[in-house]
Amino acid sequence: MCPHCGTLAWGAVDLSGRGTVYSFAVLHHPQNPQFDYPVIAALVELDEGIRLVTNLVELLPDEVEIGLPVEVCFEPTADGMAVPVFRPRVLERRQ
Amino acid sequence: MSRPSFAGSTAIIGIGQTEFSKDAARSELQLACESITAALADAGLQPSDVDGLVSYTIDPVEETELVRSVGFPQINYSSRVPYGGGGAMGVLLHAASAVASGAAEVVVAYRAIRARSGATRFGGAKTTPSPTSGHSGTTAMQWCMPFGVLTPAAWMALNSTRYMHTFGVSSEDFGRAVVQLRAYASTNPAAWGFDRPITLDDHQASRWIAQPCIRMFDCCQETDGSVAVVVASGELARDTAQPPVLIAAAGGAGLFEQEIASDHYRPDLSVMEGSVALAKLLFGRFGIDRGDIDAAMIYDAFSPILLMQLEGLGFCERGEAKHFIADGNLGLDGALPCNTNGGLIGEGYIHGLNLVLEAVRQLRGTAVNQVVDPDAVLVSASRTGAILTRP
Ligand SMILES: [Zn+2]
Repeated sequence: MCPHCGTLAWGAVDLSGRGTVYSFAVLHHPQNPQFDYPVIAALVELDEGIRLVTNLVELLPDEVEIGLPVEVCFEPTADGMAVPVFRPRVLERRQ
Repeated sequence: MSRPSFAGSTAIIGIGQTEFSKDAARSELQLACESITAALADAGLQPSDVDGLVSYTIDPVEETELVRSVGFPQINYSSRVPYGGGGAMGVLLHAASAVASGAAEVVVAYRAIRARSGATRFGGAKTTPSPTSGHSGTTAMQWCMPFGVLTPAAWMALNSTRYMHTFGVSSEDFGRAVVQLRAYASTNPAAWGFDRPITLDDHQASRWIAQPCIRMFDCCQETDGSVAVVVASGELARDTAQPPVLIAAAGGAGLFEQEIASDHYRPDLSVMEGSVALAKLLFGRFGIDRGDIDAAMIYDAFSPILLMQLEGLGFCERGEAKHFIADGNLGLDGALPCNTNGGLIGEGYIHGLNLVLEAVRQLRGTAVNQVVDPDAVLVSASRTGAILTRP
C-alpha cells in the first residue's frame, strides 16, 4: 500500500537512468564466488529522487567519489535476468 | 506522554554468561541453558521463580525447548523483539513492561548465538532467512544481494562512507576508538581480546573489508556464547542476592523507511536517526538528564556506528565524535567511559546483550575496568536502549 495516499493500485514509471553517487564501498572480503572482487557497491540517487543499492562499472575503485554523475546500464544475471548498474556519464568520461 | 510505569520500579537482579569463544562445540540451546542457570544463581532464584521469557526474533533457541531443558514449571509471558541487533535493548523494555504490568513476576531475557561456528557466520554472506522467523525484518536486503552487498559490514559500509564524507572522518579516527576498546578488552579475562591490545598502526595495517571505512579491526568478533539477565520488580529486588540495578528508562524507536543493517533509504545517512529518536525518548519521556550518564555501552558491531551513535545520542555534536574520542573521552578518566568490557569489538558479539551485563557490573561495582561510583549507565543498540541506575 502506498504510505502517502493509501492506494493499492500500482503502475510503471519510466526513469531517466541518470543520477549521482550518494555513497559507496569497495568490498574486498568475504568473497562470494558469484562476484568479481573487489566489488564496487554504491548507493545511487536518481534524478527522480529514488536511492538504490547498485554496482559501479567501467571505472577503477580509486576513481569512485561521492557526487560522481552516473548513468544506468544493465548487466545480465546467471538466471537470464538483468540488473541495473551504473557507469560514469559519457560526457564526464570524455573529459 | 507520561513516564511508563516500569521506570524505576523494575530491576535487573541477575546476570549470567557462558565463555565467549570461536567454537563452543555445543548447541545454542545448551549455551542458553548455561547462561540462564548462571543468571538465576546470581540472583539467588530457582527456575520455578521464573514466569517470563524474552529474546530476539532471530534467536535460534525455541521457548518450548528451553522450558523443557531448564525446567520452568509455567511460563505466563513470552515475547521476542524484532530488528536484529538494533533491537538488543528492546528485551529490557519487554521484560520491564511485563513485570510492571503484572503480566509476569520474574522474566529472563536471553540470547544464544554461534556467530562463528554456526551455520551462518556473522561476517559471512547472507543468502537465506534466519531460522526462527521468515525475514527478521530483512526484506530490504533482497535489494542488496544482486549487487554482492551480502554482509553486515557491506551494508553498513554504505552508510559509513557517507558519514566520513560529510564530516571529514578518516579510518584513523575509527582506529582511535578501536584502540580504546581493545585496551579495555586486554584487561578483561572474559574477552576475546584479553591480553591483546593493539596500536593505531596495527589498526591501520589490518586489511580492508570494505574500503574506505571498515578494516578487519573495525569489526566485532564473531562469537559463540550466550548471556542472560533476570528482570523483576524493584520490590522483589530488595530481597535478592545482588545489589539491584534499576531500569530507569527503556525504549525503542523505529522510523518510517528505516531498515535494519541495510538502512539505506532515510534522507541523511550521515546521521543515525534511530539514535536521535532514541535519545529524545530516553532523555525526554523519562526525564533523565544526559549529563547524569556516567558511562555508556554502545552497540559497536563496526566502529563507525559507535561514532555515529555518540553523535545521535547527543553525547557530542554531529561530526565531533572523532575529536571526542581523540581527546580520550571514552577512557576511564574521560567524560563518557564507553564499552568498558571491550565492547562487541573487543569482548565478543552476543548480539549486543553482553553490553547490558557490563552496565550491570559497572553499577554493582564489579567491572574489571571499573568507573568510579557510577549512578547511571546508558545502553544503546542504535534504535533501542535503556538507562540503568543504582537505587
Ligand atoms: Zn501514493
